[in-house]
Amino acid sequence: MKVYHQTGFRQNWNIESFEQGVGDGLIYSPVNLDADKLLLLDGHLKRTGFIDPQLYLLNEAKGTLDTYPYFPGNIKPDYSTPDLDNSNVLLAQLCIDFQLKNDFEYIIIPTRYYADNPTTYFAQTSDYFVIPFCDFIKNKGIRKKILLSVIVKAIMLSDEEKRNEALNWITGQNVDGVYLIFEDNSATKQIKDFEFLFNSLLFIQILKNNGMEVHLGYNNTEALLFSIAMPDSVTIGSFENLRSFGIKRFQDIENGPMRGPRARLYSSQLIQWVDYQYIGAFKKLISDYENLFDDSEFKPLMFKPEFNWHFLKSEPYKHYFFVFNRQIKSLPESQTDRIENIKIQIKNAVNLFRKIEDSVLLDENSDGSHLPTWFNAVNAFQKEIK
Amino acid sequence: MIKDCKIIKDLPSGGQKNVQLAEHPEIGLVVIKRGEIKSFTSLERIKREIELLSVLKSEFYPQQYHFNIDIKTKEFEIVEDYIEGASLRESMKSFATVEQIFTLLLSLIDGLSIIWELNIVHRDLKPENIIIRKNGNPCIIDLGIARFLDLEALTKTIAPIGPCTPIYAAPEQLTNNKNVIDPRTDFFCLGIISMEMFLGVHPFDGKYLENQFSIVENILQDNYLLETRHVNRDERMVELAAKTLQLQPYNRFRNYIQLQSFLIKHL
Repeated sequence: MKVYHQTGFRQNWNIESFEQGVGDGLIYSPVNLDADKLLLLDGHLKRTGFIDPQLYLLNEAKGTLDTYPYFPGNIKPDYSTPDLDNSNVLLAQLCIDFQLKNDFEYIIIPTRYYADNPTTYFAQTSDYFVIPFCDFIKNKGIRKKILLSVIVKAIMLSDEEKRNEALNWITGQNVDGVYLIFEDNSATKQIKDFEFLFNSLLFIQILKNNGMEVHLGYNNTEALLFSIAMPDSVTIGSFENLRSFGIKRFQDIENGPMRGPRARLYSSQLIQWVDYQYIGAFKKLISDYENLFDDSEFKPLMFKPEFNWHFLKSEPYKHYFFVFNRQIKSLPESQTDRIENIKIQIKNAVNLFRKIEDSVLLDENSDGSHLPTWFNAVNAFQKEIK
Repeated sequence: MIKDCKIIKDLPSGGQKNVQLAEHPEIGLVVIKRGEIKSFTSLERIKREIELLSVLKSEFYPQQYHFNIDIKTKEFEIVEDYIEGASLRESMKSFATVEQIFTLLLSLIDGLSIIWELNIVHRDLKPENIIIRKNGNPCIIDLGIARFLDLEALTKTIAPIGPCTPIYAAPEQLTNNKNVIDPRTDFFCLGIISMEMFLGVHPFDGKYLENQFSIVENILQDNYLLETRHVNRDERMVELAAKTLQLQPYNRFRNYIQLQSFLIKHL
């Protein structure tokens, strides 16, 4: 299973980390990287990765998106949905040409984002994106693998009819695989919704049963849980909006006052990002507290008293890239063994939290309270696929 | 062209067609089909079938020699190859072993993949529509209700059931879920035909399933036979059924390459 860097703001951290051997490739983000700069990046940074074309909102010129030749506003000013009827072929050509120029590993078919789930979504996506992209690829004799972008909305997981519709549509497309993004609307930092997690696992498993490549986007630590459905890749990302898909990231809204989250540090033993403010309490109350966190080249610096924790500092993220990548890479290859391994990891983490809570009480975003739900989702999934 | 033909006999006809066996002085035995065009939809279906057959030019499909529409009488006439051989219905007993069934299926897939690659779904595969030529190769007939996925659908969305022969139809045809129709619909029909060849009875027949449901009801509930009193189950057929006779297309083989690979692997 591969690990891709989901890049965005401060993508240099990902590139630096990748150059040090962390991860298998990068997923590029047009809203954060000028098209010309992307073209100038060295080939080794692109050959094992791909671009997310980010046409989610069609004509929202967020960040550097309008520097891309396929950006609809560059095809026609005030481009809107009806324009797709006339220019979907041109859009496909421009988007594929750009992807080929960069020599990425895969060609990605974009998708649009809708707040609701319109009944025409799949038919329109076929007409506007899938058919023109596949036709162009076929006519040009392009041999690269094709991935179809799909945003899986919560209702596509919870509603059987919607789920069937989505799965029948995806598996009916003539593509090699999917770039699959689960839209998680939960209020907590970790997903604690059993049905959502269990149905996501089944969704991945069904696509794998169909012989499709499944590349998951915008993963947080749930990547570890999703790994038991044997996807082909998961992602590591720095800021929270790169570890959970939200459309706000692509909306060109006026910048209000920036609300930064509290800095956090990931622990592979706890399978949890822990608010840095607890580290002071750990230091005073838990004798071997440093052992709760993985060793990395960044750890000594972060544990120095003078380290000024802030969510915009690179070290906690680079530490996460390194640690989480290693955690994913050390998973067993077979599904049966992997499921057992994850169950053990979760149980160990739960036991560690029990010990910690003898001395330090944690809030719901640091206390591992997602782990029982994860464990139950793993068990239910294991039973389902037997 | 028809006036040059000598009518030999009437043949069993399907739908609104009148079908006759005839002899043409240059071509030899031919089939003449005549019928009434009852609606724009039926005209469009006939035109699509004719245009398709004119480009197929494969021994898996009958060759077509003549097509005409009489606007005044609203009638059509078609002259096509007479396929010498027996229908699969008539020759079903020759395909009883798994090896024979899989070999025939591979041949059928060779033929059907020609239309699947053109984004066309047959939608009416059944033993009567498969003629086994004298050389043993199958010929697939009656593309009259084929679905051309790249063209506008001709079936009304409000129709309770899509075009099909109900006892050989996939669930999505029976529920007229036309957005779901694709080659996997034909895989379901091939699954029924295969199991029928193997078991000697229709796999969804309530009489053998020992339930009170009709074949259509059993298809919609996914109840099917894997063995009978006379035929023991075979794991290869069980697996084939599990990957074709599924209510949801996403649980079937995803494409014909997968189906082909499965058959070759188990042959």
